[in-house]
Amino acid sequence: MKKIDWEKMSKPIILVGAIIILSVLRPQSFLTANNFANVLWSVSVIGIMTCGTVFVFLAGGIDLSIGTLAGLSAITVVEIIDKMGATNASVIIGIIAALCVGAFAGMVHGLIITRFNIPAFLVTFAAQSVYLGLSMVITNNRIVSAREPALFTSIGSMKILGFPLPIYLMIIIALISWFSLSRTTFGRDIYAVGGNPEASEISGVHVSKDIVLCYVFSGLTAAIGGIVLASMTQQGMASTGSGYETQVITAAVIGGVSLLGGVGTVPGCIYGVVIMGLINNGLNLMSVPSTQSGLVQGVVIIIAVAFDALQHQDQSRKKVKRISEQIKGTASS
Amino acid sequence: MSKELLLEANHIYKSFSGIPVLHDVHFDVRRGEVHALMGENGAGKSTLIKIITGIYTKDAGQISWEGKPVEINSYQDCLNLGISCIYQELSVIPPLTVAQNVYLRKEPLRAGLIDYNKMNSMTQQLIDLYDFPLKPTTLVEDLGMGQRQLVEILKGLSNDSKLLIMDEPTSSLSGKEAESLFGIICKLRDQGVSIIYISHRLEEVYRLSDRLTILRDGKNAAVLEKDEIIPKMVIETMIGKEMEEVDDSSKELRSDEGPVCLEVKSLTDSANRFRNISFQVRHGEILGIGGLIGAGRTEIVRAIYGVDKAASGEVLLDDERLDPNPALSISKGIGFVPEDRRKQGFIPLLSTVKNVALTNYDIIKRTGMAIDENDELELSKKAIEAIDIRPADPQKEVGTMSGGNQQKVVLGKWLVRGLKLLIVDEPTAGIDVGAKAEIYSILDQLASDGVAVIVVSSDLQELLRVSHRIIVMRKGGIVREFKDETVTQAKILAAMQGVEEGEKR
Amino acid sequence: MKRHIKQSTMRRLISLAMLLALIALFGVLGGMSFLSTGNFSEIFRNASVVAIVGVGVTYVIITSGIDLSTGSMMALVAMTMANIYAYTLLPIWSMILIGIAVGLVAGLVNGIIVAKLNVPEFIGTLATLGIFRALTYLIAITDANGVIQSQPLTVPEYTVLGGSIGAVFYVTVAMAIFVIAGEVVLKYTRFGTNLYAVGANKKSATLSGIDVPRTRMIAYVIVGFCVAVGSVFTTARLQSTTALLGSGFEFNPIAAAVIGGVSLAGGSGDIIGTLIGSVFMATLENGLLKLHMNTAFQYIIKGIVIVAVVIFDSLYRKRMDRIAKEHGAQAEEGVGA
Repeated sequence: MKKIDWEKMSKPIILVGAIIILSVLRPQSFLTANNFANVLWSVSVIGIMTCGTVFVFLAGGIDLSIGTLAGLSAITVVEIIDKMGATNASVIIGIIAALCVGAFAGMVHGLIITRFNIPAFLVTFAAQSVYLGLSMVITNNRIVSAREPALFTSIGSMKILGFPLPIYLMIIIALISWFSLSRTTFGRDIYAVGGNPEASEISGVHVSKDIVLCYVFSGLTAAIGGIVLASMTQQGMASTGSGYETQVITAAVIGGVSLLGGVGTVPGCIYGVVIMGLINNGLNLMSVPSTQSGLVQGVVIIIAVAFDALQHQDQSRKKVKRISEQIKGTASS
Repeated sequence: MSKELLLEANHIYKSFSGIPVLHDVHFDVRRGEVHALMGENGAGKSTLIKIITGIYTKDAGQISWEGKPVEINSYQDCLNLGISCIYQELSVIPPLTVAQNVYLRKEPLRAGLIDYNKMNSMTQQLIDLYDFPLKPTTLVEDLGMGQRQLVEILKGLSNDSKLLIMDEPTSSLSGKEAESLFGIICKLRDQGVSIIYISHRLEEVYRLSDRLTILRDGKNAAVLEKDEIIPKMVIETMIGKEMEEVDDSSKELRSDEGPVCLEVKSLTDSANRFRNISFQVRHGEILGIGGLIGAGRTEIVRAIYGVDKAASGEVLLDDERLDPNPALSISKGIGFVPEDRRKQGFIPLLSTVKNVALTNYDIIKRTGMAIDENDELELSKKAIEAIDIRPADPQKEVGTMSGGNQQKVVLGKWLVRGLKLLIVDEPTAGIDVGAKAEIYSILDQLASDGVAVIVVSSDLQELLRVSHRIIVMRKGGIVREFKDETVTQAKILAAMQGVEEGEKR
Repeated sequence: MKRHIKQSTMRRLISLAMLLALIALFGVLGGMSFLSTGNFSEIFRNASVVAIVGVGVTYVIITSGIDLSTGSMMALVAMTMANIYAYTLLPIWSMILIGIAVGLVAGLVNGIIVAKLNVPEFIGTLATLGIFRALTYLIAITDANGVIQSQPLTVPEYTVLGGSIGAVFYVTVAMAIFVIAGEVVLKYTRFGTNLYAVGANKKSATLSGIDVPRTRMIAYVIVGFCVAVGSVFTTARLQSTTALLGSGFEFNPIAAAVIGGVSLAGGSGDIIGTLIGSVFMATLENGLLKLHMNTAFQYIIKGIVIVAVVIFDSLYRKRMDRIAKEHGAQAEEGVGA
C-alpha cells in the first residue's frame, strides 16, 4: 500500500524538484511568467503529437514516422500557400491537405502492420525515410517560407489571454484524446488490445480496425504538429519535425506510458511533456547545446523502459508463483 | 527382456504447503521395458516425473539408479545419469538441420570449427541404429510434428540415454505419425532403452506397455504386468469405482423439453481437427462435451463462437443462421469462456470494472459518446454480486487476483447481459474447490433461467456434476451420446477411450 | 516423393534475381555510364562498408534483434579518432585501435541495454542512436567561435586505406574478408549455431543450455566492431569526419539484410544474403544518381523497397509454410505406409 502512494507521489515530487532545481540554477531567468509560457509554447507541438501517438503506444505499437510526417505536412501546407498566392483560402486548403496527408499515411501504416503482421517499428522506420525523401523532392531541398497570410502565421503566434494559440491547441487535443481514451468504447478497447490482443478479439473487439484507427490518429496529430511548427517558424523544410519521434517517445515514457502496451494516460503524457519542456528549458538556460538533447532523451528512455520491463518480469515471476500454487491447489483437490 | 531394475523409486513422499501430493509411492523401471504411467488429472503423475528429473525435490524416499542410490537435484543430474525427457513443448530449433539439433552445444569440432562431416555421419549412425525415418541434413522446419519429435528423441539418445521419459507424446500427432512413433518405441525397447510412457490414452498403453503403474490420489493404485492389463479394470482402478456401481460418481441424466437454442449441422474444420459435427442444445439444458485432449472439443466450440472459421457446415441460433465472429456472437446473445484463461480470458492490467465492461458496452448507458462510468461501475458490481468475487473490489487489476476470482470475472461479464447460450471450456481448470462449487451452481442457475449451456471439460466428475446430457468426442467426431440413462465416470471414460463396455483383452 | 528446392535456396535465388533485374533496369536506362568496370568497382566500394557493418547487423537480426544505432556509432568512432589525431601524437595504428575499442564499448552498451535490462531492441538502440550522436557532438572539434568543424584526417598512412589496387578498393578487400569470416563464424562455429537457436526460439535455446543473454550481447559487440572498421574505411575515404557522419546510415545494413533474406523474426538468413542486399542497395543508389535522381529519391525508394520486401517475405513465408506443412504430411504418410 505504501508503495502505491509513493508511486503516485513521485510525479509531483519530480515536477516540483525540477522547478526548484531550475529556479536555483537560474533564479533571475527561470522563475518568470514569460519563461513558463515559453516552456509550454516550446513543447506544445510535442504535446500535440504525444497526445495522438499515445493511442499507438497503448495499443502496443510504435510510430517512428511522426517526425518526418510532421515535416511532410508542414511542407504540404506551406507549398500550397506559396503556390496559391498566400490567400486565406489557400491556408484552409493547405491545412486540409496536410491533415489528409497525415491521416492517409497513418492509415497506410496501420493497414500494412495489421494485414501483413509486420513489426510496427520497421514499417514506420521505413516510412520515416519515405516522408523525408518526399519532403526533399517537393521542396527541392530549399526552405519554403510562409510569412503570409496572417491567418496562417497567427496559428503559431497569436495570443489569447496572454498564452499563445498552440498551447490551446495542445489542450484541446489532449482533451479529445483524454475523452476518447477514458470515456468511449473505442478508448476502452485500445487498452484491452494493448493488454491482451487475443482476449480482446475473443471479447468481440475489432482488434485490427482499432489498431489502424490508432495509427490514423497518430498521423493526424503529426500533421497538426507539422502545421503548427510551420506557422511558428513561418517556414517549411525537409528537416522540419525531424527528431520529434524521439522527443514524443521520451515525453510518453516520462509520463508513465508503457511501450509494451496497455498502460498510460493522457494526463500522464501532458505531465511528461511539461517535464520535457522543463528539461529542455533547463538545458537551454545552462547553455547546454541542443545537440545534447539526444543524450538526455536516450538515457531517460532507457531508464524508464528498463524499469518497466523489470516490473513486467516481476509480474511474470509472481504469475509463475501463483500458477504453481494453483497447481498445488488442484493436486490437493 | 531382463528383469534387472534400471530405476527404482521407493517410499516417495511429496507435499506442497502441507497438502500431500505423493504418499508412499513406489515406482520402478526395468531395463528395456516400456513402462506406462497412468492416472486421472491430479493423481500425482507429473509430480513423480518432476522428482525423477530433478525439477522438484522429494520430501522423503529413495531413488536408485542401476542398483545404486542416487540424489537427483537438477535436470542436469538427470541428464548425466542417462535420463532424457521428451518435452511436450518440443525444444528443437526449426532453422537448424537434424544433425545440428541432435548435437547442439556438443558439436564435434576440428580446428575450432564444426566438423559437419563427422557430425552428420555420427547422426546417421544414430539414425541407422534405431532405424528412424530421418536424414541428418534435413532442416527441422521442413519436418512434420511427428518427425520433429523423433529429432527430440534422437537428441536424448545422443546423450547415451538409457531411459526416455515421454509425456503424452502423441497429443499433437496425427494417426499416421503416432503409428510410426509406436514402431520407433518398440525398436528402442528392443535395443535395450527403457521408456516411461505417460498417456491418457488407454489404447496406446495397451499396445505398447510391458508394465503399467496406476496412481490415484497420490498413491499407488496398481502395478500391472502386461498380461494383467484389462481395459475395464484399468478404468476402474483409475477412478476407484466399479463400472456398474451406482454412487456419487454416477448420475441419472435427463432430457430437456425446451425449444432448441443452438443447432450445429455437419460442422467441419479446415484443418481436419473435427469433422461433420451435428448436435442440438435446448434452452434450459446443460450439454457436457467430453473427450481426450486433441479430440476436437475446444476447436468445435471455438468455431461455434466464431474465433476460428469452420470450413463447412451451419450454426443456427434460435433457427437463425449465423456466420459467426465474436462480435456478432456476443450481439446475438452467445457468451464464451475460453479454455486458456490467462491467454484468452481477460486483460490482466485492467480492473474488474473494465474487464466486465469489455463485452457489455452495448448495454452500458451513454451520454453521446461518453460512457456513463457510474452505470459501468454498477454493472461490474452486479457481476461481482452474481458471482461472489472476494474481496469485492471492482477496481482491482484482474491480473493480480487468484485463479478462481479471475475465472469468476471471465464468467461474470456474461451474467450481466441477456444470454441465450453460454459456452464454457474447462471452466474450473486450476481453481480451488470452493470456487468450483460456486461456478457449478451458477451454471445450474443459468440453465433453470432458460439459458442453453455447453460445458467442455476433461474432468469427468465435473461433466457428471453439471451436465443434463453428455456427448463424447473422439478423434474429431462424436462417438457417443448419453441421455436418459444412468451414466458413470467409467462409462464416459470408456467412450472417450473407444473401449466397449465389458470388453476383455 | 518429388524433390523440392530448399526454402533458403529459393529465397537466395529471389534476392539474386532482384539484384540482376535492378542491374538490367539501370543498364537499359543508364547505358554504358552505368555498365562500365569503373562504375561496378565504385558500386562495390559503396556496398563494402554497408556489408561490413551488415555482418554484425545480420548476427543481431538472426537473434531476432535490431540495431538502429549503427550510424551514430560510426560518427562517434570517427570523432574519437579525429580527436586523437588532432590532439595527440599517438601513431596511426593506435588511433585505429582506440577507435575500434570505442566501437566495442558502444556495442557492449547496446548489448547490456537489450539483453540485460530487457529493453526492446528497437527502443534501446533508438535511444543509443540519440546518445551516440550527442556524444559525438560533445567531443566534436570546434573553432574559436564554438562552431563545429569538419575535422580532417589527412595523414597518408591513413588515407591510403581509401585507395585501391587496380579496380578493387581496399575496403572491398576488407569486406571480402569480413563476409567470409562472418559466414564461417555463422555456419561453422558453436556461436553461429547459437545465434540461430536464440533467434528461432529463446525458450528452446535456454532449454538446450544456451546462455541466451550472453549470445545476444556478443552479437551487439560484434556490431560495434564492424561499425568501427566501417568507420575507419569511411573516414579514410573522406579524409575527414563531421559530427553528422553516418546519419541515416543505420537504414542501409538493415535494408541489405532484409533484401538478402534475413528474416526480422529471427532464426534465418546469412551473410551472403546480406552481401547481395548491400550490393543491391549500392546499385540502387548508384543507378539513381546516374539517372540524375538526387538523394531525396533514394530516401523514398529505399523506404518503399524495404517495406515491399518485408511484405513479400511475409506473404512468401506464409505460402511456403503451407506448402511445407502439406509436404510434411505427405512425408509422414510415406513413413506410415
